[in-house]
Formats: sequence, C-alpha cells, structure tokens
Amino acid sequence: MLVPVFTLKLNHKINPRMVTVGKYDGIHPNLTAATTAGKVFIHNPHSRNLSGGRASELSLDSDISLLSINKGISAVAAGSLDPVGVSDMLLVGTQTDLLAYDVQNNTDVFYKEAPDGVNAIAIGKLGSIDSKLAISGGNCALQGYDIEGNDLFWTVTGDNVCSLALSDFAGEGISELIVGSEDYDIRVFREDEIIAEMTETEAITALCPMTAGRFGYALANGTVGVYNKTSRYWRIKSKNQAVSIHSFDLNGDGVDELITGWTNGKIDARSDRTGEVVFKDNMSSSVAGIVEGDYRSNGNTELICCSVEGEVKGFLPATQEQKGNLMDVNIEQEKVREMSQRKQNLLLELKNYEENAKMGIIPANTQLQTSLSIRLDAEGQEPHVDLFVCTTNDTVLRAVLIFAEGIFEGESHVVHPNLNQLNNTLHVPIYPPKDVPVDLHIKAFVGCKSSTQFHVFELTRQLPRFSMYTPCTEQVPEPKSSVTFTVNERVQRIVLWINQHFLLNNELTCDGDLNAGFMSLRGSGPIFIQMKSGGQVTLRTDDMDLAGTSSRQ
Amino acid sequence: MELNLTRVDYMQVGVTSPRTMKLLPEKKHKAPQRVAVADQTGVLQCFNMKKGEAQVAFKTLPGTKITRVELGGALGSPSDKVFIATGSEVRGFTKKGKQFLGYDTNLTESIKTMWVSGSHLFLGGNYIFNHYIDCKDEDYYLCSDRINDVLCLPMDRIQEVTPVLACQDRVLRVLNKSNMLYEFEVTGPPQSLALFSEEGGSQISVTINNQTIVVYLNRTTPSLRWGVPNDKRLGGILCMDNFDMSGDGIEDLIVGRDDGTIEVFGYDEADEPIPKLVCESISSLQGGVVASQGYEEIVACTYAGWIQGLTTEPQQKKAGPGDMVPLGADTQNKLSTLKSEIDTLQAKVLQERDKYHIAAMSDKAISAVPQFDVNDKFSLNRDDASYILSIEVKAAIDNVLLQSDVPIDLLDTEKNSAVVSYSSCDTENGNFLLATYRCQANTTRLELKIRSIEGQYGTLQAYITPRLQPKTCQVRQYKIKPLSLHQRTHVLDDTRPMNTLKLTGQFSLAEIHSWVSYCLPEIPERTPPGDSINFYFLSTFLDTQLDCLYKKGEGTFRSDNISTISILKDVLSKEATRRKINLNISYELEENSIPDTLRRIHPKLEYQLLLAKKVQLIDALKELQIHEGGGLDFMSPEYRQILEESETLKDEYKKQPCHLERLYGMITDLFIDKFKFKGTM
Repeated sequence: MLVPVFTLKLNHKINPRMVTVGKYDGIHPNLTAATTAGKVFIHNPHSRNLSGGRASELSLDSDISLLSINKGISAVAAGSLDPVGVSDMLLVGTQTDLLAYDVQNNTDVFYKEAPDGVNAIAIGKLGSIDSKLAISGGNCALQGYDIEGNDLFWTVTGDNVCSLALSDFAGEGISELIVGSEDYDIRVFREDEIIAEMTETEAITALCPMTAGRFGYALANGTVGVYNKTSRYWRIKSKNQAVSIHSFDLNGDGVDELITGWTNGKIDARSDRTGEVVFKDNMSSSVAGIVEGDYRSNGNTELICCSVEGEVKGFLPATQEQKGNLMDVNIEQEKVREMSQRKQNLLLELKNYEENAKMGIIPANTQLQTSLSIRLDAEGQEPHVDLFVCTTNDTVLRAVLIFAEGIFEGESHVVHPNLNQLNNTLHVPIYPPKDVPVDLHIKAFVGCKSSTQFHVFELTRQLPRFSMYTPCTEQVPEPKSSVTFTVNERVQRIVLWINQHFLLNNELTCDGDLNAGFMSLRGSGPIFIQMKSGGQVTLRTDDMDLAGTSSRQ
Repeated sequence: MELNLTRVDYMQVGVTSPRTMKLLPEKKHKAPQRVAVADQTGVLQCFNMKKGEAQVAFKTLPGTKITRVELGGALGSPSDKVFIATGSEVRGFTKKGKQFLGYDTNLTESIKTMWVSGSHLFLGGNYIFNHYIDCKDEDYYLCSDRINDVLCLPMDRIQEVTPVLACQDRVLRVLNKSNMLYEFEVTGPPQSLALFSEEGGSQISVTINNQTIVVYLNRTTPSLRWGVPNDKRLGGILCMDNFDMSGDGIEDLIVGRDDGTIEVFGYDEADEPIPKLVCESISSLQGGVVASQGYEEIVACTYAGWIQGLTTEPQQKKAGPGDMVPLGADTQNKLSTLKSEIDTLQAKVLQERDKYHIAAMSDKAISAVPQFDVNDKFSLNRDDASYILSIEVKAAIDNVLLQSDVPIDLLDTEKNSAVVSYSSCDTENGNFLLATYRCQANTTRLELKIRSIEGQYGTLQAYITPRLQPKTCQVRQYKIKPLSLHQRTHVLDDTRPMNTLKLTGQFSLAEIHSWVSYCLPEIPERTPPGDSINFYFLSTFLDTQLDCLYKKGEGTFRSDNISTISILKDVLSKEATRRKINLNISYELEENSIPDTLRRIHPKLEYQLLLAKKVQLIDALKELQIHEGGGLDFMSPEYRQILEESETLKDEYKKQPCHLERLYGMITDLFIDKFKFKGTM
C-alpha cells in the first residue's frame, strides 16, 4: 500500500520514457527529464547554483534549470561512472550522439558520436569489466563507455535496441545486460556473449531488474509481465500501453513489486509472483516515467511518478499504523460480491444443462476438427500455412476467431464468410512472419444457417516453429553458406526434432546419414539439414537469421 | 449539498426489467422499509434487511417476465399494495404476499408501462393506452408512436383524471378521457416520467435519453422549468425517483443511468454529487430506508439483479493498527454459507457436466443451450453525431466480435477496458469491419462508439460470447440506415430553399412507410393511422432538414441538402425495384439551396479550421514559452490567448475527432450530387 506524500506541478512537458533521478552533488536527488525543444530540465528544489555553460535558470523563483541540447533527445539517464561513486553524472542520448555531462560543475565530461543513435542508456558495472560503464543501445549496436569516454565494450545485437537493463540474471554476483529490441527478442548478454534469448510478441519498450534474477518487461502492444530467468511468471495485456515500469518494494516484505505507468495515466503495482494488483492510482494524463529517490531529504525513499504534462507525484510505503486504516472498507463487500458472482455463474451453468431446449440446437456429438498444412498452389494467394476447420456433420461454421500473438496485425484474426456461402468447412490462411512457435486459440461458432445463437467450440493448436518451410521436391542447388557443429545425439533424435518442428505431410524417416532439404515459403531460399552418424550437423542456408535460429534449437 | 454515501450489497435476483423494484412505505418515519422486487423469471419477492441479512417475506412462483412494479392503495391511505404487470395481466398483492387481484386485460399488446392511483389503473402497451376504474374499461387512446411511460397527475390536487403519456416521437401527450388535451414537445424521445407534486399543478421530471428536464404541467398550460444537459457524457437514464436525501426538507431528484452512475439533483440548485456504482445498468431505484433505522439511502437494482444500497450510514470499520481488518462475525457467517452453497452447486455442476459429455457421445442427443439475455442499445449521440452501442449480459463477457458489411469507424471510449484487435477484412465476403473485443475478467457491460457515413447502409453484427459453460454466442444485428445521422424533430424552417423529390407509383401507404423507415431512424415500425404521413428530420451533423410527406401512391421529400435527396433517391428506387414496383421519380433542384447549405456549413467549417489551427500551434507556442523563459509580452494577444486556453482547446478537439474530415467529405458529396442532379456528371 502506498500513500501519496507530495505532488508538484512543474509546468514543463516531459517526454515519455525520458525521466531519471540523479544526485549530481552527491547528496540531493534531482528529478531530470527531457522536455520539448531539445532541452533537459533539472528540478532542483534543494540548492540553486547552476548557471552558465549549457544551463540556464528559468527565473529566479523557479527550481528548474534547463540544459540546451538543441537536438531531439532520445534517452536520458543519470548515474555515477567514477569508481568512488559519490556524485552522479547525466547522460543524454540523441539520434546522433551521446553526451556525458557533469551537472554540478556544469561541464561536458565526454561527447561521443553515435551514428547508430542512442535509444536507451544503462549505467553500471557489466560482467568482469573493472570500471563502471555507460552503455548505450542504438540500431543493432551496443556500446559501453567509461568515465573518460573510452570505448570498453562493444557488441552487436539483432535489431534496433528499445530498452536496456543491467541485472544479475544468472545469480552469480556479476551483472548481465538485458537488451530488448524491435525484433520482439529479449537477449541477455554476459559481456559480448548471448546467454539467453526469449521471444516476445511485440517490440520490448521497457525492462527493469527486480529481486533475484527476475526482471519486468513491457511491450508496445500493452503487455506487461515478469520473467524469472528465462521463464515467464506472468503477463497481462491492457488496451493501453505501459510507458514506464519500475521495481519498488511497497509492502516491506523485501521483494520488489512491479510498478507500471500507463498511457491513460494509471499507475498500478503488481506482485512479482502472480501479477495481482496490490495498489492503484491515477494521474490526470499519460505517465512519462517512474523513478525513486529521497526527494524530501528525510531518509525515506519515495516512489516518484511523472506525467507527460509535468505533474509529479511522490508516494511512500504505508507505515504499520496506517495500513489498518487504509484497508479498503469495502473489502468484505467485495468478497461477498465475488462469491455471489461465482454462485450466479454456477447457477446459470446449471440452468444451461437443465433447460436443454429452445435455441441454437446442434447434434450433441458434433465435433470440431482442425488440421494444419502447407498450401503452395492456392489461387491468388501466396504460399501459406493453411488451417482447415470443419465440423463432423452438416452444422455450419458461422465464423472462426483465432487469437494468437505475433502473427496477425492485432492479436486476433477473424474469418466471417458471407451468409449464403456458409458450410461446414473453412480454410484460414496464416502467414507467420517469423520462425517462432505460436499457440493458436481457435474459437469456432457452430450452429445452423439461420441460428441467432451458436455453440462456441474452443481449442488450441500449436503452430510449429518452422511451419513456413516445405520439403524440397525437385533438385535445388545447395546453398553456399553453412553452419557446422557437433551434437551428442543419434540421427533418429534429430529426425524426431524435424518432425516436431516442421509441418510435414508425411513423417520424415531416415537410416544412415541425414540429408533433408526444405524450401522457405517466404522466398528466402532453401535450407539443408545434414547429419553424419558421428554427430556432425551441417545447416546449409544463405539466410543467416535462419541459420542462427535453427542451430540454437 | 454534500452527500457521503457508501455502497452495501443486499441480494441478487434474476435479470430485471426497468422499474421493477419498489420500497413499501412504513408508518413510522425513517423505519426500515421492505423492498419489493420482480425479475424477468416472473418471481416477485419482498424482503427486509435484518442485521445485514436479507429476510424474504414472500416470494411468488416463476412465470412470464414481469415488466413493471407499482405500488397502490386506497386514496388517502399509504400505498402498500404491490401491483405487477406481466404479459397482458395485472396482479395485485398485499404487503403480506396475499394475491387480491388477478386481472387479465385481454389486451393484444403486452403491458409495457403501468400507473396505479386509488382504484384507477393506467396501462400502456406499445401504442395503446388504457384507463380502467375498478378493473372496468373506461378510456382508450391510440398513439401514433411507441409509449415509453405513463403517469397520471395527482388526483387529490386535480379533480379530473389527467393522464400523461411519454411518446417516442418526442412529445408528452396530456389526455382527457379518450381525447388529447395538448401535446408538449421535448428535445428527445422521453424515456421515463416521475412526479413531483406542487400546488395547483405538478412538476414532472422527464428523462430524454441521457438528459433530464423538469416540466410543469396542468390541464391547460405546460412550461419547461429546467433541464440538465449531459455534459459529462454519461449513459442513458432508465429510472428516477424523488426523495429527500440531503435532509433539507425538500425532495431531491435521483437519477439512475445505464452506465451505472447515479446522480442526485436538488430541485432548487443544479449541483450534484455523482456516486458511481458498478458498471452495470441501473434498472430501478428509489430513495428510502432499508438497512438501518434513521439512515436514508438510495436503493438501486441493476440489470443483472443486484440490489444495492447507497447509504448515508457511515460504514467505517473500527480498525486498529495492524495488517488485517478482522471480518465482522455476520460477514464471516455470510461468507461461510455462501461458500457451502457454492460447493454444493459446484458438485452439481460437475455432475451435469459429465452428463453433458456422455450425451455428446451418443448419436441421437442434441445440444441446445437456452438463449441468454442480452441488454443492448444502439443509439445516436447528438453531440458528436456518432452511435453508441452498449451490450450487457448477466454473466461476464468473454469476447465480442463485431462485423459490419458497410465501412464504419470504431472509436475508442474511455469507459471500456477491453482489448480491441482489428482483423484484416475481405471485402468480397461482405466484411468491411472485423474486430474482436477481448474483455477483462468480470466485465458484464461493454460500450462502443461507432461513426457511420450517410449513404453507406447495411448491418452491424455483434457476436457476444459470455464466460459460461457450455460456451455459446449470440448474434445481435443493428441496422445502419442510409440517413443514419438524422433525427426526428417537430419544427421545420420554411424559409430555407428546398430541393424536392417526388415519387409516384402503384404502392400502398404501408409500402412507402416501410421504405422510409428503412432509410431513416426513429420512425415507428407500425404505419401510423391516417391517410397521409408527415415527418420532419434534422441532420445532427449539418443541421440541414428533411421533410417527408407521403400517402398511398405518392411521396414528397424536401430537403435543403441535395446530398440527402440524392441518398433518398438512390435507396428508394433500389427498394422499389427490389419489390418490382414501377416508380416515377421527379425532382426539382433549387439552385439557391446549395449556396444556402454552404452558408450553413461555413461557420462550422471555419470554427473547426480555426480550432485545428489553434491546436496545431499549441505545442510550438509552448516551446517558445520555454525558450523565452516566462515573459510572454512579445507575443500577440491572439497567441497568448491560445496558450491560456490550450487545455480547453485540446479537450474540444479531442471530443470531435475527424470532424473536419467529415465536413470536407460532406462538402465534396454536395458538389458531386449537385452535378449529378444537373445531369452533367
């Protein structure tokens, strides 16, 4: 439970995701955020000594100083880079460069060209590198600078980096770099080695480290969730988008909760284990960022939420005494209500069974059958994966809804045929854009032609990872490039793996050496999987991304 | 006026129709009252609250659905008799639950509204109004449009019997016996009436879709007292009551809406607190005392049958320091009984589920699930010329699939939290919109906003799937009419130049009436009596008008907007061809009408352009403000004003998205239609 302790109106707009808190004098935290017109403002209610250089004081009675960057700002972070770590330094990223700035002394520390842009900045120690680094993520590139601006870390990643976080992912006492990018992947780097990779359903817009190897993430489609190492604890999806996530222990149990700020101004705190909401509040406009700091200089760390319109709210965890009073007086009512609702649902279900009459009649033994196959020669359509749905008798399929993430424009795809073309079969073309396994949650509305009420058949099918590949039928020249590695498995195991991960009409069988060729339906050429009985596997393909994905499997 | 109200749940009954809950009067002032509530399963029950437990005094057997509950009694004595209307029958019960009246009216229509006063009984069906004295047929009136509500001016004040009908065609009709005394036009279709007595005449609160007005009526003159516009865009009003909540001796007006809000208005001042209930529509409410003596409360009954109180009794718990508030003993009890009930039910359900699955194996069995009730509404919102579709189901909604065979836009409303996803559309299969709404847990009501384009007509279908086993979904259809943005009105500005479309041919009055009702909203399904029919319409978007006058074999349509005429011509001729009726169509193009309509659009266009320009400037001006650090003296007053009003400007701009584009579209249509009629295109 959190109690609001202060609210401020800064009268400056705040760019979403560009909020940080830095102790530039080593003592007082200052809220720092990017605002319009290529400026960064520093809210400094404690002392006032900034002027000259980049800084300009707005007016005498204001606590705000503005830094002119004069370029579109894309990322802001504050943290200490010197080994002692007393005072913080401000890092500002734009689409062309990275600036480290000493606010206290009003001087530039270093200035680096960043041709790949700076989309996210993380500050801290990485792996076994001795000095603290400011790590910036741009287009496919990750770069880490020490306090002198030396380039101590450099590596590449899959796509445009959207979010960065430093966390002790493996639990070995050193931090790894977690990178979220636009290709829906979360990658974990131990220095320049990828130690884990998780595929999500949208671009990863925010990451935050939590207690014990866990981390929270937010996606561009409104999903928020928590990973424990490589497995996902929970996720929820809202129609709004999460702007900022932050971990904060609000109930004093030593485990951080995930605080999320949404585009509609909502702030909620969720348990890291279950995703259950433990606290909610509202801002009047979209949240721009959530940070923490001892903003009233009394030894308590407040959670500070900022909105895009410059409204700032500070929260403190409730003390023991306050807790009792803060308990919702309606909690009993809520409980009774919830139970009654359950009772009501059960009663309604019972009624459904008892009153087996009236409308929407279908034979009770109606079954829904589905099959997945590859279609190459469909008229007027690109080669695709075909989901075939049919009922076992002459009932008709009014519509089929498929809920699946990452393969459609939204989260669902609907097939709704014309009324006079209704029958008991339906074909749904699917074009998976990426090689990821996807669960298809199928809902089919089954009834008669003139029904107004339909039975809903629900079932889940998994689309295999390499469903967009079909076995080569004719001779194709082998691709020039290849990946070779050795696995300690029998050939039969690999054949089994192929049968599970490809959509094949006939099961693949093989005695002796394996040589299987597949053709991409997306037009990116063939792939050959070859294996000798010694365990040496060769993947021949000209598609580097595919080689990477398939060899990691 | 400051009210501090807390919510208490009492019990749940079946799905309720609007205005089917009443509080029985008690002799002692502020003593706990009994609640009489009837639901759509036909059960009437009466209960009182004792120590937080609902105790049922009596309960009738299930039957046909009950559409209205009223209280009555001999004049001068407390009205403690309960009257219910079900089908074409009226039944009366004493407060003990003894049935003393069972009267079958033999009406052809089922009873929609009822009013009881002494031995007088007033009933309204769809179009027919009947007045009975001691169950003897006395008077009768046939309305030209649907009757939404009935009441009778108080007989202890006005000697003659004076019933008032609220009719769908936007008038209040005041009757004397079987004749109409006068009509009083209001701004929208009146939904419900409530009485607030005063010397000499009576004030009647009238609710019109989503606003409330108070009208003063007597036998000769009506007058409008005051109205409360719906600025906050709350839902439609379903029920009202007069009750002194503020304790100032004057009754206050309490209003319940279909989006779950309750408002309290003082009659003298229009300042009101809005306690928000749940997200379920409120079907009936009344002020009174139920839970504990001496504390006034608003008792409300929702569509799903929840009966709740908003009480003035403080519900603060005596919570000391510590983590958990100890649950009260009675709540504890309540919870444990509920739990055991749920457990037995669960077992029963499991058994039935197994049975169902076994049945699914056999060849002969059929699976048929009873139709669930859907409470839906598709209504035109005048303010921004868009449609609001609200869907409510008793169980939680799992998902809703929207399909439309005409291009329409879905707008986001803040009220719903469902995740919307647009699917790609195959227009050759008649799908111009395919969207799924996946609802969050426990959503029983969903509200959507839809923008239609005039001239593009068809059907919008909603497939509603509740979270209930065995899973079923229900289709609901909503017609999007060719002139969907038009609204009925009763006045016509005759000074405007009008274009005329004339149809002649071999068609009956009923036929042309059905074509017109195919084109325009708010037209009664039934052909009104009389030889010729005349309707006036106003475009909610452009404020242009349309006059429809038709009779057997002839129809005349006049509008100052040539596009309206063009749409009508296309649709009517298509309809007539479909029915193989030969139509002679002639039209008169009034050249003056085009500049006149353009002049009418011009201020709107100018305003919108200016607004768009101002909104565009806001960000740049703000940036300048930051650059210059405070002093704004260098700016022109115009810019300074924009900065000052930036919030209101933005709000206004947000309220009417794409307004400008729609105006552009309409002007382009006007241009095309002009030349189409001139024959040069």
